[in-house]
Amino acid sequence: MENMVNYNPSFAEEVFRDVDSGDEIKMCMNCGVCAGSCPLREHMDYPPRQIFSLIRAGKREEVLSSKSIMLCTSCYACVVKCPRDIPVMDVMHGLGHYALKQGYVPRKDTANFGKEFWNQVYKLGRIDEKDLPRRVFFAGGFIAGIKAMLNFMDIGLKLMLHRRMKLLPERKIKGVKSLQKMLDKAEGLGKGGAAA
Amino acid sequence: MKYFLYWGCSLEGTGANFLVSLKPACEALGMEFEEIEDWNCCGASVSYAGANDLAIKVLNARNLAIAEAEANYDIVAPCSSCYIQMIKVNHEIQEDPELLKQVNECLAEGGLSYKGGIKVRHIQDVLYNDVGVDKIKAKVSKPLNGLKVAGYVGCQSVRPYGEYDSVNRPVVQDRLLEALGAEAVPFPTKIRCCGSGIFLPEIDYCMGLVKDILEDALNHGAELISTVCPMCAMNLEMYQGRINEAYGTDFDVPIVYLTQLMAVAFGMDLKKDAALNYNVIPPEGILKAAIG
Repeated sequence: MENMVNYNPSFAEEVFRDVDSGDEIKMCMNCGVCAGSCPLREHMDYPPRQIFSLIRAGKREEVLSSKSIMLCTSCYACVVKCPRDIPVMDVMHGLGHYALKQGYVPRKDTANFGKEFWNQVYKLGRIDEKDLPRRVFFAGGFIAGIKAMLNFMDIGLKLMLHRRMKLLPERKIKGVKSLQKMLDKAEGLGKGGAAA
Repeated sequence: MKYFLYWGCSLEGTGANFLVSLKPACEALGMEFEEIEDWNCCGASVSYAGANDLAIKVLNARNLAIAEAEANYDIVAPCSSCYIQMIKVNHEIQEDPELLKQVNECLAEGGLSYKGGIKVRHIQDVLYNDVGVDKIKAKVSKPLNGLKVAGYVGCQSVRPYGEYDSVNRPVVQDRLLEALGAEAVPFPTKIRCCGSGIFLPEIDYCMGLVKDILEDALNHGAELISTVCPMCAMNLEMYQGRINEAYGTDFDVPIVYLTQLMAVAFGMDLKKDAALNYNVIPPEGILKAAIG
């Protein structure tokens, strides 16, 4: 009997209830095809299949701090391949969102990038492609920001010289205020969990 | 053939050569475009960091609702991220009427509503199924004369729904390239992801993905790689120098949009219409040699 593991279902219930697409993992049969199809699997600490097992085993800390849940390139390979039709990508996005809400940072740069991306969408209704990287670079402090800027300056300059960078700041869409009202409503009505 | 053209944020910036070439090339085929009034960003694939799933759906439903109220045209989304974000909402509300109700509850805050009646199409879908290969062939005045092109499909332009092409063995881009007189070289990584929207924050991991794709295309004889996605184009073209430094390779292969090749093969202006001067790795030499 010493090999018995006491599964704690409370985290799984939390995931089913509060994480977008979280209840989809009930269908997982742990075949691992999601991992096999994932372009960044070799960089993950736990491939999706194992993340789902950890959820069932109640390993909250391991799951919400795992870098895997924010290494999704959103390529839909796992979604197409899953024999149980689980939208694996949506589950990973849901977990990434939930982890950040709960104060975890599974992947710093991608988290900053994604948050800034959404901030711009919310504030402008559009993305300012030159402002976004700048904000992400400087999210780690001034010195780190300067270093990152210099590191990517060559690419920025080339894009600019080849007319692939808008020079003027992106303007707000006309209906930005009403868009924000819609998004606020959705934030309250949808899943995703309250901040810890 | 009238459509809404939802070009999105990237096609005004890093993907400008896509939009500049798409308009004249498609209009020459009889397509007419209208802009969706006051459109917003689709949220792409990283917005989950800041927003819940419903908010991202509502974001896309706003564009759909505005279009639906305006006219009964299909929406053409050339950017694969815009395409997938919009088409996803449509699929999910069809499966789940409760979701449509929720989406509409949110849209009502801005005085909008969506019935779910607008079709979202990828540019390849429209070119292949509405225009057709024969009509495209008939428009070609400067055929690409067997130029070996690797048609890089990537991910979100066909996955996960496979509306117009196979998700496992897509052929549409190859057929379109062949219509222009090019030879579409087969290469297995044509449906592998390039890192997409998280390339920049995860550059150390994603460079390897692009390296594999470039290597595979070149090993199969490609002189040029074509794409239909602004993220693919950006990641495959702009980081070749970085990849060469990291892996000791010597990549210097032009990455062009399918629509740029169309404009070239239709005998249009190489700068004004085909926007070849927007490319950082110049494709002019190879293309001029091909069309003779």
